[in-house]
Amino acid sequence: MASYTDPPEEGRGRRDLTVALAFLFFAVMALYVPPGTQSQVAIGLQRTVLRPFIMIQELKSGLILRAESALRLQAQLDSLASVVASQAPLLEENRRLREALDLQARAPGTFLHANLIRPGTAGSESMFLLDVGSDQGVRAGDPVLMRNGRIGLVGVIREVTRNQAIGLDWSHPDFRANAMTADGETLGLVEPRRGDFREADRLLLNAVPYQERLAPGTLITTSGLGGNFPRGIPIGEVVELHREEGGWLAEYWLRPVVQTGSVIHVLVVRPDSSTERLMELFQEGGPGG
Amino acid sequence: MTRKTLLGILVPSLVVLHLFLHVGLSLKGAAPDLLTLALLLAARETGMGGGGALGFFFGLLEDAFSVLAFGANTLAMTLLGILGARTRDLFVGDSLLFFSVYLSSGKLLRDMLHWVVAGEAMREPFVNAVLIDGGIAALYMASLGILLVFLFGSTRELR
Repeated sequence: MASYTDPPEEGRGRRDLTVALAFLFFAVMALYVPPGTQSQVAIGLQRTVLRPFIMIQELKSGLILRAESALRLQAQLDSLASVVASQAPLLEENRRLREALDLQARAPGTFLHANLIRPGTAGSESMFLLDVGSDQGVRAGDPVLMRNGRIGLVGVIREVTRNQAIGLDWSHPDFRANAMTADGETLGLVEPRRGDFREADRLLLNAVPYQERLAPGTLITTSGLGGNFPRGIPIGEVVELHREEGGWLAEYWLRPVVQTGSVIHVLVVRPDSSTERLMELFQEGGPGG
Repeated sequence: MTRKTLLGILVPSLVVLHLFLHVGLSLKGAAPDLLTLALLLAARETGMGGGGALGFFFGLLEDAFSVLAFGANTLAMTLLGILGARTRDLFVGDSLLFFSVYLSSGKLLRDMLHWVVAGEAMREPFVNAVLIDGGIAALYMASLGILLVFLFGSTRELR
């Protein structure tokens, strides 16, 4: 009887089926071989065929790790920058406190240390509050100084309550100070002049006799005349001639010793302080003092 | 280009790409199951023996990272390779519809077999693992298979 199937095709089909069943058998065996053998096979594959892909994953993980590290480092850098930035004013504050304490130590009872607060409200420009008042011996009219390398005039106390004082600094339009050159040979009157913006406020020394010529850099201090301020408190240095009035008076621009915006800690001069002692201190408090 | 030559290039490329995406980049479900696609494409050409052998090898590659269910992928892929090869004897299937159904049901079957073999400790609920995740993965893989058909021209070389 003739066969309906091509014998070679049938043989190939059987062989194919046998191979398929063999692999199926191996696949089933793979499920049941001991875990040790399973892991050996797995490790073998991981070390050979799959190795390049595992290396890619390692590379990818390394890149992610480095990116995360970079982000973490950036965050740490930002934090450090923030810490450093916040410490800079502290260092400056510390330095000023040291200077103030040093001055107080050299002249006990001459100054009263105080913290200066600026209200920051509209209309309060050039005004300041001090955290000391009449209970601490502060009186209206007391000069307020600051030492920033050199002692300089900040302003004057206007009103005093028990534990607080209100003052105005030299940039206030009402501020006036009788002044003189440090050698006392030339007298004048210091008053503020508004700049285009508050940081540009300047001091003007006017009523200077025409024949008295002041060189740039000449130190101008309080003269003690009029009783407003003790003699010898540094106010500013001559910058240049502003103008001459009618050929008999001259006005000079001054560079203030104290920039009001930088004031945080101040010294209030006690009313009973000795003028001679103050003069000595102001001279010591000059450059390198 | 003959069907054999095309598959000879395409199947290894799909395997390498699959391992690159899944092992190298750990994309998991975001990358299609190119290994199953390669197996389903190759199985209809190689016959049951070749399909079984290819499935066995592909399954082992997948199982190399399977600690608790070692062999589940191997068995699933071996069976799929054999059954995929068997479809050539049962269905001529030149249409795009048949090809889509063949690929998607093949992928679904592979996931189902794996779910059954993997054991209770390793598997998620059937609905989630096979019907939802498996269904989406099957459509994803079948879409890619159809895209390949279009990429390699209007020939019937891949079907």
